[in-house]
Amino acid sequence: MVTIYLRRAYRSFALHILDIPSRLMALLLIVLFLAIPGILPANPLMSYLLSVLITASVMAIFASSWDLLVGRCGQISLGHSIFYGVGAYTTALLFRSYGLPSWVGILIGVLIAAAISLPIGFPALRVKGPYLALVTLALPLIATSIVFALKDITGGENGLPIPVEGRFFQLTNIHNLRIAEYYLTFLLLLVSAIIIHKIANSRTGIVFVSILDDEMASKACGINVTRYKLMAFAISATFAGLAGGVNVHLLLSASHGDFSLTLSFFAVIMAVLGGMGTIYGAIVGSYIIYFLDMYFLRMVVDVPDVWHVLIFIVPVVLLVIKWPRGIARFVTDELEDLSEERPLEERGKRIWKKYRRKKKSANEG
Amino acid sequence: MHLLEVENLTKRFGGLTAVNNVSFHIDEGEIVGLIGPNGAGKTTLFNLITGFLKADSGTVKLRGENILGLAPHKIVNKGLARTFQVVRPFRHLPTIANVLVALQSPRGSDKIEWIKTPERKALELLEDVGLSEMMMEPAEILAHGDLKRLEIARALGTEPDLLLLDEPFAGLNPIETDLLTKSLQTIHLDGHTMVIVEHKLRALMKLAKRVLVLHYGEKIAEGSPEEIAKHKKVIEVYMGKGK
Repeated sequence: MVTIYLRRAYRSFALHILDIPSRLMALLLIVLFLAIPGILPANPLMSYLLSVLITASVMAIFASSWDLLVGRCGQISLGHSIFYGVGAYTTALLFRSYGLPSWVGILIGVLIAAAISLPIGFPALRVKGPYLALVTLALPLIATSIVFALKDITGGENGLPIPVEGRFFQLTNIHNLRIAEYYLTFLLLLVSAIIIHKIANSRTGIVFVSILDDEMASKACGINVTRYKLMAFAISATFAGLAGGVNVHLLLSASHGDFSLTLSFFAVIMAVLGGMGTIYGAIVGSYIIYFLDMYFLRMVVDVPDVWHVLIFIVPVVLLVIKWPRGIARFVTDELEDLSEERPLEERGKRIWKKYRRKKKSANEG
Repeated sequence: MHLLEVENLTKRFGGLTAVNNVSFHIDEGEIVGLIGPNGAGKTTLFNLITGFLKADSGTVKLRGENILGLAPHKIVNKGLARTFQVVRPFRHLPTIANVLVALQSPRGSDKIEWIKTPERKALELLEDVGLSEMMMEPAEILAHGDLKRLEIARALGTEPDLLLLDEPFAGLNPIETDLLTKSLQTIHLDGHTMVIVEHKLRALMKLAKRVLVLHYGEKIAEGSPEEIAKHKKVIEVYMGKGK
């Protein structure tokens, strides 16, 4: 009995994951990232590497939320940090003032970020393309001014620090704490990415892409474009707000940097580098950028901070010229070619052998 | 009651009157042709009826209900769909997903038989226009003739009572024209009423039973294709005045 079910489970696993090279690759990457804390030795440098990966995971949620709105629905937002900042400040305020459990604060932060996305989405119904980009660009600037104006509530340039009890885990060993936080953020990223990916590939996601491609034709298909645009804004703001809220409990403060333009542009850079409109591209891009910026340029080769953006922007621009559709998409496209026209009985096995054979014949020919 | 009733519809662009006091009606089950030389106001008339442009005056009634001034997507959901003269596919989406967009509209999704999934229904629509083999290909690789038929499948996805086709034959070679004519005949037999804009009379003759002629925004003639072909004013408009 049991073997039948096991075999069935394996078949389904082979068909849906092993058979599809890009999914197999994603699975391998996930396993690798889950194993990382076990592999790394417990020393301060490795604790720092873990905190880099934690930041990368949080930023990956942020960047993939941007990708859903811009890469899939075509509503260009250059001020995406507004949602991140609102999530962060709400969470920090609630924790400081009311001492709510961290997850309740984050949840409320997410809801408020989603709620403000609706009035923010309204300009999107009037202006398009570059004009919308300019309108959204102004929003975090306004928010920053508000932060500085309402010093009593927001703490001005000092930000809003929260007490150590705000950590997700009360562990004294810093390395163990980082490991726990690493797993938490990684799982959060996995869940968010799966949800965003599911939405992007649902029938609603198809309508989003139709708005990106040709708004007038969507209208002619009887689509209420207004409703779908606002929906895209709300979903996107939800995950951006989540990233902001979670980050408060990791860094133990919310600051005006959460509304910064740099943050908004990082979302753009990460998504474009990985491959716009793919969702997973934003995640890959985020890990690459944060590893380069916070680990490689700081720990491996010690470069002063001011040079960082310059140093990694140049390779990013070159990579985008080489693979305009993004690094991650380039890789999956390569893999996708392999799986085409594979007979059913060959599914789920020998994919890597086949890949080697193909490479070999390509080299000989 | 007529299916569509247009009365005294007028649209001015600055000093130019693109559509001038046009009145006509369409009955259920008809195929009506709308012809006229370039710049006669055919496309403008379509844009007015489907809400993509705001009319200056007049009324448009669908089954007796005034639809003038409604948003385009609302008009589609009342049962009046259109195609575009220049094809407007969703280039990033697979062919079948192009049709799925229309099936996501309130009217489109309401009218799917309970036993079918939208994907199944979309495939059937693609079969109707002969595109089912291309269902998984991205729309951007389709040929022009295929895109023209995809537009029609997409419009049919909203289950229209009345279908407005804006130059469906433009840019098609004779083989593609025949294919499309056959598809349109099938669609008509399925019970769809159609208005077809065309400035080539020949393609229209096979389909339309009644033809309206527009010139400088005014309706100058109406009748069967044979009558229109002999109509003095129409010949004048197309060929110039004889001496």
